[in-house]
Amino acid sequence: MADLPPPVQGPTAKEKKYDRQLRLWGATGQMALEDSHMLLINSGPGVVGIETLKNLVLPGMGNFTIQDSAIVSEADLGVNFFLEEEYIGGFRAEHTCNLLKELNPDVQGNFITEPIDSWLTQPDSLKPFTLILAIAPIRPELLARLSAHANATLIPLFYVHCVGFYSHFSVHLPSAYPIVDTHPDSETTADIRMLKPWPELLQFAKEKTSNMDTMEADDHGHIPYIAILLHHLEEWKKGHDGKVPQTYQEKTEFKTTISKAARTNNPEGGEENYDEAVAAALKSLKEPEPSSSVKEIFKVPECVLVNKESPSFWVIAHAIGLFYTKYGVLPVPGAVPDMKARSADYIQLQNVYKSKARKDVMEVLESVRFLERTTGRETVIEEKDVEQFCKNAAHIKLVRGRPFHVVQAGETIKWGERAKSIAQNLTFPDTLIPLYIAFLAFDEFVATHDKDRLSGAPKMPGETRQETDTEKVTGIAFKITDDLIKEAGTFIEEPDYTAVKERIGEFVQELVRAGGAELHNIASLTGGIVSQEIIKAITEQYIPVDNTCLFDGVKSKTEVIRI
Amino acid sequence: MGRDKSARQSLGSLHMRIKQARRAPIHEARVLMVGAGGIGCELLKNLVLTGFGEIHIVDLDTIDLSNLNRQFLFRNEHIKKSKALVAKESAGKFNPNVKIEAYHDNIKDPQFNVAWFATFGIVFNALDNLDARRHVNKMCLAANVPLVESGTTGFNGQVQVIRKTQGKTECYDCVTKDPPKSFPVCTIRSTPSQPIHCIVWGKSYLFAEIFGTSEDDAPELNHNEDSENAQEIEKLHQESQALKRIRDSMGSKDFPRLVFNKVFKEDIERLRSMEDMWKTRRPPQALDFEQLSKEALGVADTIAQKDQNVWTAAENFAVFVDSLRRLSNRMEETRANVDTGNAPAILTFDKDDADTLDFVAASANLRSHIFGIETRSKFDIKQMAGNIIPAIATTNAMTASLCVLQAFKVMREEFDKAKMVFLTRSTERVISSEPLRVPNPTCPVCSVTQSTLLVDTSRATLKDLVDDLLRLQLGYGDEFSINSETGILFDPEEDQNLDKTFNELGLKADSFITIIDDADEDTKVNVVFSIAEKTLDKDTRPIHLPGKLKIGTKPKASAPEVNGNGNEHNHPVTNGVTNGKRKRGAEDNLEDDLVKKRGKVAAAPAVADDIILVDDATDGAIVIDDD
Repeated sequence: MADLPPPVQGPTAKEKKYDRQLRLWGATGQMALEDSHMLLINSGPGVVGIETLKNLVLPGMGNFTIQDSAIVSEADLGVNFFLEEEYIGGFRAEHTCNLLKELNPDVQGNFITEPIDSWLTQPDSLKPFTLILAIAPIRPELLARLSAHANATLIPLFYVHCVGFYSHFSVHLPSAYPIVDTHPDSETTADIRMLKPWPELLQFAKEKTSNMDTMEADDHGHIPYIAILLHHLEEWKKGHDGKVPQTYQEKTEFKTTISKAARTNNPEGGEENYDEAVAAALKSLKEPEPSSSVKEIFKVPECVLVNKESPSFWVIAHAIGLFYTKYGVLPVPGAVPDMKARSADYIQLQNVYKSKARKDVMEVLESVRFLERTTGRETVIEEKDVEQFCKNAAHIKLVRGRPFHVVQAGETIKWGERAKSIAQNLTFPDTLIPLYIAFLAFDEFVATHDKDRLSGAPKMPGETRQETDTEKVTGIAFKITDDLIKEAGTFIEEPDYTAVKERIGEFVQELVRAGGAELHNIASLTGGIVSQEIIKAITEQYIPVDNTCLFDGVKSKTEVIRI
Repeated sequence: MGRDKSARQSLGSLHMRIKQARRAPIHEARVLMVGAGGIGCELLKNLVLTGFGEIHIVDLDTIDLSNLNRQFLFRNEHIKKSKALVAKESAGKFNPNVKIEAYHDNIKDPQFNVAWFATFGIVFNALDNLDARRHVNKMCLAANVPLVESGTTGFNGQVQVIRKTQGKTECYDCVTKDPPKSFPVCTIRSTPSQPIHCIVWGKSYLFAEIFGTSEDDAPELNHNEDSENAQEIEKLHQESQALKRIRDSMGSKDFPRLVFNKVFKEDIERLRSMEDMWKTRRPPQALDFEQLSKEALGVADTIAQKDQNVWTAAENFAVFVDSLRRLSNRMEETRANVDTGNAPAILTFDKDDADTLDFVAASANLRSHIFGIETRSKFDIKQMAGNIIPAIATTNAMTASLCVLQAFKVMREEFDKAKMVFLTRSTERVISSEPLRVPNPTCPVCSVTQSTLLVDTSRATLKDLVDDLLRLQLGYGDEFSINSETGILFDPEEDQNLDKTFNELGLKADSFITIIDDADEDTKVNVVFSIAEKTLDKDTRPIHLPGKLKIGTKPKASAPEVNGNGNEHNHPVTNGVTNGKRKRGAEDNLEDDLVKKRGKVAAAPAVADDIILVDDATDGAIVIDDD
């Protein structure tokens, strides 16, 4: 008897623990998460920041640091689930950090209790971090400093408000933030190139459809639908000057031709493979043209002017741009959808697509290598990255990150190129832009009020005096609104103008009434949304919110706007 | 200033408004949470910190390592302990004023009857399976308790409020859920053509025959086509029997070889000898034990950890042999520990049990080699064999919070403001919502009339029910049937049960019977009675209605078939999530695009959302008067 192979080792505990999320962002996403180090600048009741962190510690973020000089009070216990009676009087940063670490022993946690003003002015205090999350209220000069840091080092910066039933966050991403792995819907990824077949694919179709009229029923019912489509396309072209169906009417006619070609003299009264062909007919007559946003990427300066320092994304994008210019299509992604077919035929078809995809990758790779040589690039781009890029080429995305508003006392808020569209949308009855303006006014109040007169912690509206604060913040909000309308160079007519002001007034009143307090449930929801966006930013996968999201907990409603 | 400062300040209006309406404030609310997993942990935290007064948790599951990436109430030291009990213990600390009751039980247990459900103000479903969801839906409808239903899949999530009266919303079963996929026996056993066929073979046939009970009850196998292939089925049956006999030599050194040669050689050779089968297919090629053994000697022992790689035949062989050995040892140990006379020791497939997964992955891939099918990585096979639904903390956090927000609307009885809320991956919205829908008039669960029936079960016969109650009191004609949970009790052709008592028929307290009217005219809607046992005075009738019962008639329109693919009520179901916005067919979209592009004015394709359901509320209403 032959010797048996040696016993094998079981999976690691880590793989098991993270199994359910590895199916979303894969091993590379997980690695990025484990390499990250997030700074949380906590403030106010401090719940939303901790809830966000919780959702990042659980999936295994490598490192976090909490900066928070607050002392745990009894009020914290009711909203922050980590804190218990025994911690009253201790540093909130220290206790939340330790309790968060308990959630996942793989994660390193640190805390800083030094006041933010002095800590932030130390040189290199922000150096270790790959991402920053700042919670309102925060003094504008500190937020501005963070924003400048994000600009200079290209790390993502998130800014979050969570007050009563309402919340908001904005994200400042690098000005060129490209994503290869956008995880498109599986329905949109099939790209079978019926209008741009290559010789091997045509050959396959010909082989599988020759003498299809005399085939046995079982064989006829197993012709792969791709072969059926190509066969009928070729037939169609013969009768139409070599042209494929153009008009909607022709396309419908083409679809009908295929459905008529199905055999119905069988017990099922039809054939599944023909049903598949009919279902795919119209879609397959769409030119395999890349979307305008993808074509746009080939034209941006970062892509056109590739140099020695260019991130690999731009080198590969440039190479694929060349490929597109040459052939009018993107590289074949290579996947074949499931279909009714004999396994041998299906495997053969898979190989036809795979080898074409491989060929296209090699051509792009050649251009990449050429670019590397001509620009004198020092690091070599890995082949698997080129392959991955080619596979996703139709779904790549470029986000132009930009700074969000930092409200400085006495300064008019600038809306820039966004002024016009935001002023226009302001009058829509369901928009949450009035809530955004209310939060800006909230920030301006914070910028000019201290808890004590010694410029200690910032004071939030409604903490002590509801009525006067409501009046103050409403006044600020109305001024912001008028400045916005002015900057947009437009005019809002009555009764719309009054209606807009009413809505802004209502949001202001609700924010002030909460007195800066957080509701656990709203903090938890906001923490969920923010942590999800942080995961996107860290893994550089999926399409992020660009760049501001508002949440109204009374209506369970969100709105995303680009500020 | 106390611990509820923030909540009081922000929730003030909720407390107040509720008080004005003389409804119980949050701290007096008594709620039930079914499921203490991903959504459940988050939900429990939110309920506790929002100040819900009394929370009951039911979950029969125990904690697994793969839960810890999101179920934050659990730690490593809790693995294998009850989710419900640990959740109670962990969450109880957050707010000493909240009363938490935990049950490490199945929600379908008889102790959780309609009367028990009726003691709650709101029920939250935080479940991961269709069966339990449907059960809770049914119980909440019967008990007339509002239900907040929720589910997640990856980044998608969904929350739905279900309320029978006041609001009259769609119930969980108003929308047909796709049944789990199954395959014909012959495809799995004789003519596989896709990786999934081999995976189902490994899991539902090979694993089940060697370590479990038998393939016969595997839900993945359907026997619809068995009669067409009677001969082959008989052969396959003999094969299974032969495999069972090999089971006896488990533990012997020769066991792996015996199993291997049986399923990867002899059975394949038999299949191959049926030449008709392979005229148009690539014939399978048997594997050779000795040869693979030799090749596998060079396989590194870390192979089973490389779950993202696609293994070679030799690597699969190494994993097959080793996992078979591991499982055999476990089986021996279990057997040794089981008292004689008890049920035989068996193992069940569990995607998170490395030994069972290794075995299924390696067996499936070896079979794929034989049939020339693409092999898959263990990581992929795990997902396919275990129907794994990706799950993360972020989605659960959002979904659970949305449940609580909807619960606020329920507590204020603002059902017009309650919503069906979706979390989507779309970054234009993040969260989207739509108004709650009206019930599907043909829903097999909520379109029925429900009532309790007071029965002296030792005395009452089926005849008492048929003649006295149904025909005399409720006006049924000749054509109707009575069904219990186990099958038909009575119809015009089935009358031998008439003289049996409820006891003899096994109809005890809290069992349900359904009356289906088959009259041609003015057909009554189905009536579901839940039985309440009561000893009634001998001189009185042994079956009583607790009050007057009015039964509506079925809508006249040629209603779509129940459980058919009625377009307007068909959601694909994953982990209870319906892919965000209700989708149109891909084709409709395209046609729509084409029309738009060509600037042509054409009638838009019929979209599910546009169908307006007629609310026949007046006819279907149930009125039970207390008298």
